[in-house]
Amino acid sequence: MLMISPRMASGMQEKQFTPSLLNFFVYNPTFGPREGEEEKKILFYHPCEVEKNEKIRNVGLCEAIVQFTRTFCPTKPAKSLHTQKNRQFFFEPEDNFWMVMVVRNPMIEKPNKDGKPPTVEYQEEEILDTIYGAVVKECYSMYKLFNGTFGRAMEAGGVELLIQKLEKFFYRYLQTLHLQSCDLLDVFGGISFFPLDKMTYLKIQSFVNRVEESLSLIKYTAFLYNDQLIWSGLEQDDMRILYKYLTTSLFPRHSEPELAGRDSPLRPEVAGNLLHYGRFLTGPTNLKDPEAKFRFPKIFVSAEDGYEELHLIVYKAMSAAACFMISASVELTRDFCEQLDALVGPQLTLLASDICEQFTVNRRISGPEKEPQFKFIYFNHMNLAEKSTIHMRKTASVCLTSVHPDLMKILGDINCDFARVDEDEEIIVKAMTDYWVVGKKSDQRELYVILNQKNANLIEVNEEVKRLCATQFNNIFFLD
Amino acid sequence: MDGEAQRATASWGNGTLAPGDHLRSDRAESPTPGLVEGTEPGAGQKSAMFVHAQSFEDLTAEAEEEVRREADINNPGDSEEELNVLVGEKEPHLTSESKSKEEDVSSEAWRSHRKHVFVLSEAGKPIYTRYGTEEALSSTMGVMMALVSVVESEKNTIRSIHADGCKVIFLTKSPLVLVGVSRTSQSDKELLRELQYIYYQIVSLLTLTQLNHIFQHKQNYDLRRLLAGSEYLTDNLLHRLDRDPGLLLSAVTCLPLASSARDTVSSSLQAAKSKNLVFSILLAGDRLVTLLRKKDQFLHHIDLHLVFNLVGSSSSFREGEGWTPICLPKFNTAGFFHAHISYLEPASQLCLILVSTDREDFFNMSECKQRFLERLSRRTAYQALKDALKSPTYSVEHVGIPELRHFLYKSKSSGLYTSPEFPDVYISDSEQERLMGLYQELHSSLHHPTRPLRFFYRCGERENLLAWVTSGFELYLCFSPLGTKALAVAAVTKLLKWIRKEEDRLFILSPLTY
Repeated sequence: MLMISPRMASGMQEKQFTPSLLNFFVYNPTFGPREGEEEKKILFYHPCEVEKNEKIRNVGLCEAIVQFTRTFCPTKPAKSLHTQKNRQFFFEPEDNFWMVMVVRNPMIEKPNKDGKPPTVEYQEEEILDTIYGAVVKECYSMYKLFNGTFGRAMEAGGVELLIQKLEKFFYRYLQTLHLQSCDLLDVFGGISFFPLDKMTYLKIQSFVNRVEESLSLIKYTAFLYNDQLIWSGLEQDDMRILYKYLTTSLFPRHSEPELAGRDSPLRPEVAGNLLHYGRFLTGPTNLKDPEAKFRFPKIFVSAEDGYEELHLIVYKAMSAAACFMISASVELTRDFCEQLDALVGPQLTLLASDICEQFTVNRRISGPEKEPQFKFIYFNHMNLAEKSTIHMRKTASVCLTSVHPDLMKILGDINCDFARVDEDEEIIVKAMTDYWVVGKKSDQRELYVILNQKNANLIEVNEEVKRLCATQFNNIFFLD
Repeated sequence: MDGEAQRATASWGNGTLAPGDHLRSDRAESPTPGLVEGTEPGAGQKSAMFVHAQSFEDLTAEAEEEVRREADINNPGDSEEELNVLVGEKEPHLTSESKSKEEDVSSEAWRSHRKHVFVLSEAGKPIYTRYGTEEALSSTMGVMMALVSVVESEKNTIRSIHADGCKVIFLTKSPLVLVGVSRTSQSDKELLRELQYIYYQIVSLLTLTQLNHIFQHKQNYDLRRLLAGSEYLTDNLLHRLDRDPGLLLSAVTCLPLASSARDTVSSSLQAAKSKNLVFSILLAGDRLVTLLRKKDQFLHHIDLHLVFNLVGSSSSFREGEGWTPICLPKFNTAGFFHAHISYLEPASQLCLILVSTDREDFFNMSECKQRFLERLSRRTAYQALKDALKSPTYSVEHVGIPELRHFLYKSKSSGLYTSPEFPDVYISDSEQERLMGLYQELHSSLHHPTRPLRFFYRCGERENLLAWVTSGFELYLCFSPLGTKALAVAAVTKLLKWIRKEEDRLFILSPLTY
C-alpha cells in the first residue's frame, strides 16, 4: 500500500510504503536432497512468476538459516531472519514442512534532484516478529481448517495432490492478507464474545439443544450474534480459526444485503408461507431453485483420533448466525436443507430480535456512550476471549483502529516484554507523544490501556486504570 | 545520526573536536521545567569533559563515513612500524592472562553459554571466539560468512536471526564481520552496541588504516597472527559489557571525592603539562578521579572505556611505567596515540594515564608524571584522595528512601553517572547480571530507535523498576516488589534532591584543560 506522506515538500513528494508481502513459500527439504533436484523441495511459491533459480536460492537461504541456528539451538528452530530490506518468518507446522513468509520492511522513497533514482530508506524497526509470526501460523491453521494436514494430502494423493491443494488454497488466501494492518489482535487470535443476560443465554442454549435433537445429523453447533460468539460446541482452537474465517471472510462477503435495508430481507418466495429472515450463507442460495446444489464447504476439526471432516452449514437470520457441522461422510440432500430452513429459520429470526431488544435495553441502562478517556484491549488465554475498544470494526479488508500506529506497536512491545517472563507483571509507559500506555498481565489475562491524559502522573494513571478495571472487569483480579 | 557525534566526526577534519556550543544551544529547549540539560544534577559547570553520546545510537551510524575518510589517509609504511611496536609491547604481559580456551564446541556446555561473540574476516577466516578455539570453529564461522555473502548478493544486509530464547546478531564492519549469539533478553540494538565495542577494541589495537591495509594486500590474512596475546582484552571487555553500567549508559562514573580535593588533584595534573600531551586521566580502579584534556580536544566515552579496559585488564602496568601505542578509534581511526600508564604508588589503585601524540615521548611523559606526583604529594588533597579510595562506593541506604534497592543516574551533559554499590539482594554474580539485564531492558525500551519512551514503570514479582529520561538526565530505579507507585514517584523527587546535594562529591563539576 502506498501513502503519500503529508510532510512532502512542494513538488518533491516523499512516498511512504507500508509493509507488504514479498514471497510466501512452502518447502520440504527431504523432497529434493540431491544436487540438481532442489526444485522438488518447493511445494508452493508466491509469486509464481519468480524465476526458478531465484526460488531455489531463497529456499536454500532458509534451509541454511534453519540449519545454522541448530548449531546453537538444537531444540528451538529459527523463527525469523531480519535483513535491512525485509523480514522472513519461518514456521515448521509438520515435520520437515516449512512455511516461509517474506515481508518487505516499510520504506520511504525520497526523490532526488537531477534525475537520479530516488533514495530508499527502509524502516527496520517497524515490524514486530510476534505479530507476523502469528500471521504465518494462522495461514497454516486456515489451510488446515479447509484441507486437513499436509500429511493427509500426502497420504491421499502424494506430492502432486499437496501441491494442487496448496496452490488452490493460498492463491486466494494470500490476497486476503492485509499485512499493513496487522496488530496485537493477530497475536492473540482471540474470539469476541457477545455479552448477554442469563435468560437470553438460556434461550439460545435451548434453541441449540432443540435443533440438535430434531436434526440428529448435526454434530456440532456454534451460535454468533453481531459477529460475536455466544455458544460453541467445538474445541477452542478449532473455534478460534473458524471464528476468524466467519468474521473476516464469510460474514463480510454476505453483509451487503442486510445493510442495504428494507428491500432485501423478506424473500418473496418465503414471505407467503413462513415469515422469517433465515438464509444459508454456505450451500444453496435459493432453496426453491430446482438447479440448486446442496454442497457445503468441508472443514477439518480435531477429534479424539486425529481429525474429522465436516460439512459446514452457516445459516443466518438478521444479526444472528448459527453454524451447524455434520459429518462429511453423510450426503446432504434438498430434503434435509428444507427441513433445517423450516425449523431454524423462524426460531432464529425470533431469537435475533430478542437478543437485539435485550441489547438495546442494556445499552440504555448503562447510559449514553460518551467518548471515554481511555481505550483498551483485553485478552484471556484461557477462553480466548478478547475485547477491544481500539478497533472500530473488523472487515474483510481492513482492521480500522482509532489510535496512532506507533501506540499500537508500543502495545506490541509490551506484549513481547510480558511473553519473556512467566510472571504476573504490570508495565506503565509514557510515549514521546505523552500518551500513557498501561499493560497488565495477571494469571492468563492481559489488559492494555491507552490513556489520553497527557498531564496525568503515574499515580493518577494508576487510579484511572483501577476505575476501568472496576467497571469493565469487576470480577477479575489484577496485580496492583 | 546523533548530532554531537556527527559534529565530532566532522570537526576532526579541522583539528577541533568541540561539541561545546552544540550542547549549549540544546539546553534551552527542555520540556522538563527546572531540569534543563546542563543544569541537571551532575552537569559540569564549564563544558563537557569528553564527547559522550546521549544514547548509544551514535554507535551505529557513523562508521561508514569514517571508513571513507580513512581510505584516503593510507600510510602503510608508518603503520607497519607501529604494528611492530604494538606487538612487541603486548607480548610481555600475555602469559599470565592467557587462558585455556579448550572446550568441545559440539557440547551442550559450549552451546549454552549466555553470550557468544565471534569475529571473522570477510574471507571467513576466524579471528576471535569468546568460547572454544578459533580452529575448532572455522567451519561454523565459514557458514556465518556464507550467510552474510548470500544476503549481500541480493543487495541486502543480514541483521539477525531469532529463535525462541536465542538470537544471532550480525555486524559487518568491513574488513571484519562480528557475530553475537545471545540467550539474554537484550534487544538487537543492545547486542549490536556490544559488537561495536568489540570492533572498536580491535581497531584500537591496530588502527582501521592498518586493518584495511592488511586485508587489501592479502584478503586471506590470518589476523590472529597480529592479535595473538591480546584476546584477553576482548574477553575482559565482554565481561565488562555484562556488568558495567557505564558501558550501557555511555557514561563514566567518578570516585566520590570532595570537590576541593578533586580540584587540587586536577590543577596539579594541569601543571604537569607537555607539548604533545593530549589527555591525562587519573583512575581509581574503574572510577575516574579526574580527566584533563587539551583545549578543543575531546575524548569519546567509547575511547575512554577502551582505555579503562586496557588498564583494568593487565597487571603488567603495576610492574613499572608502561608505554603503549593505542588507537582511540572514536577520535581517529587512522593513527596511534601513545599512552604512558603507571600507578602512582606500587600498591595503589591510582593509575595515571598520559596520552601523547608523539611516539618518542616516553621520557617526557615519565617526567610529567614525576612532576604531578611531586606537586600532589605536597598537598593535603593527596591524603584526602587516598582516604576516598577506602570508600569508592556508597550504600543506597545513604539516600534514605525505603524500598529503593539500587539506581543509576546519568547526567547527560557531563556524560557522568552515579550509582550505589549492589545491595545484598544482588550480591551474587548471577543476580548482578540479572539486575544489569533488567537495566538493559529498560534502557532499550526507552531508547527504542523509532518508538522512544519518556517514562517506564514495571511492577513484577521480584522487583519494581522505574526509568525516566529527560533532556538533562536518565534515571533508572530498582525497588523491592513491596514499593508502591506513590512511593516510586516520591522517591524520584527525593533522589534528585539527594544527588543535587551530593553532586560536587559524586561528579566532576569543574573539569580543567591544558
